[in-house]
Amino acid sequence: MAQKRESRKKGRHTATVLSNVRAGECFWKMRLRFSGEAAGVFARFQPGQFIEFDTSDLAIPATDSIPKALLDGARRSVLLRRPFSFSDVTVQDDATIAELLYCVVGPASLRMTTLRAGDVASLIGPLGNGFTVAQGKRTALLVVGGMGLPPIRCLARLLNTEHKEVETIAFIGARTVTALPLEERPAAFEEGLSLSVPTFATLGVPSMVATDDGSAGHRGPVTECLTRWLQENADRDREKLIVYACGPERMLEAVARIANDRQIACQVSMERRMACGIGLCQSCAIECRIEGSNETVYKLCCQDGPVFDAREVVFGTETA
Amino acid sequence: MNEQVDISVQFAGRKLANPVFTASGTCGYADELADFIDVDALGGFITKSITLQPRKGNPTPRIVETDAGMLNAIGLANVGLDRFIAEKLPLIAKMKPAVFVNVAGTTIEEYVAVVERLAGEKALAGFELNISCPNVRKGGISFGTDPAQVEEITRAVKKACGSKALIVKLTPTVTDISVTARAAIAGGADALSLINTFTAMVIDIETRRPVLANRTGGLSGPAVKPIAVYLVNKVYREVAREAGIPILGLGGIRTASDAIEFLIAGATAVAVGTASFVEPDCAAQVISGLRDYCVRKKIASLAELTGSLAEPS
Repeated sequence: MAQKRESRKKGRHTATVLSNVRAGECFWKMRLRFSGEAAGVFARFQPGQFIEFDTSDLAIPATDSIPKALLDGARRSVLLRRPFSFSDVTVQDDATIAELLYCVVGPASLRMTTLRAGDVASLIGPLGNGFTVAQGKRTALLVVGGMGLPPIRCLARLLNTEHKEVETIAFIGARTVTALPLEERPAAFEEGLSLSVPTFATLGVPSMVATDDGSAGHRGPVTECLTRWLQENADRDREKLIVYACGPERMLEAVARIANDRQIACQVSMERRMACGIGLCQSCAIECRIEGSNETVYKLCCQDGPVFDAREVVFGTETA
Repeated sequence: MNEQVDISVQFAGRKLANPVFTASGTCGYADELADFIDVDALGGFITKSITLQPRKGNPTPRIVETDAGMLNAIGLANVGLDRFIAEKLPLIAKMKPAVFVNVAGTTIEEYVAVVERLAGEKALAGFELNISCPNVRKGGISFGTDPAQVEEITRAVKKACGSKALIVKLTPTVTDISVTARAAIAGGADALSLINTFTAMVIDIETRRPVLANRTGGLSGPAVKPIAVYLVNKVYREVAREAGIPILGLGGIRTASDAIEFLIAGATAVAVGTASFVEPDCAAQVISGLRDYCVRKKIASLAELTGSLAEPS
């Protein structure tokens, strides 16, 4: 009973912070270095998997460096770990380097900004099931909504390094230009597909940007870009396409409908409030269809997901 | 060296290697925890609530963090008795700790049916009667707040237990918890566990809606610990000591010193709950810390700690 199952080895690990810098209006990027046993464990990190980060004993930033909108809740105590996916994982000699792109939204992420190079972070992982690259797929369509970027960026890296035969295209959406979690902004966002967004272009992945307010790229939901691409490429063999998406649930629902209607394979990375991330608390329920039945079942985002087949998920069940 | 310190305790007719349990609903069916902790090192283990039929549980959001705590409204999501027996019991049966199955239901008959099916399982130490869940519409806490019903359901379930021990888990959401404790003992409880969570609410001020889909949830975590310590001491002094009924104390325990407070207050054993979500090996750290305390204080038997609360100076 006590033996660990090697096949899904997860555990408590520490990582050394290499850097932790502001990367945009409210985005920060932390680079973490895993060494020893953890280096091996995280070298096998799948894009879409996640970690639970402990921020409970981190300091609160000085008042004058706290964004005004967060001042009221900044001193709230933090008990639970917070789940994050990595935006990049690379192996360097005997260490594994992971990039954690995060948005400062509350007391926990605010505390994360106080970590400095050389500090040690406590985390649990790798957790859950990530994106899988199915045999026979020739084109991967990546769809990002705002902070859904990190796991998709990580997937783009995997496709670029281990699946060069797969053509990869990214559709990146956000409310407005400042909500795009991109470290380097292009001078101008082009309307169509281009290599102008460095986050993806450095991996050879062309991308297209959409914002709700039109402040960058296409004005409108990112799903319109996906639909247009599918229309323009209607002659492609749908069996060889696959859509990967991460973002707000309403976007995922729309992406799933587009893919399901056209019988294109689609994997979505879901999000739920979770207390533990390891199947203990049962908080992160996702309503899923049972194949060949009208019945549904709750699966756990942390253990059965966070990546689900788009045909399986019953979207929009979480009360906002 | 630390490992040689004897911290065994007698609890509900069994000798436990140590007094530390993991609490129901915070440790799954043990397999989830096994990646992080040697579950065989625990003193006791209490499964997630089992009901006769599978339960999907409540819609999400099911949790929200609060200062020094969290609310949950899981709604007794579980695989149901049949799948529990087929899929979970074989693993649990191999565990060294005393395993108690937490039983929930909406009618007395449902509770009895679950216990009857499991009473013959050699590997089980007994049952924990969940009559204090605040997050289900029927059953749960509605049994646990009425002393007459507490006695009736305890008696009916105890009869179905055969030789197995029965722990009755009490809710703190009553005017006088000693009244419910007395009722459970009158019904034949072999032990009492307290406390379950407090019914509570968090409101989203942007939408003016409750954050939880269930509106309310049960508050747990460090925030409730001082109240739990007080209630354990109250039940110990007013009911349990005289009746010779052991208390499993829980509510916000995350360190050995937290656990020791409960023992001094009157608990014979303790359970780690919410803290396992943050540190899955928390119970192991508590066990180790208990040993250190016994060495430091030259305590030969943990039993001498139970109820040893001194008067204020």
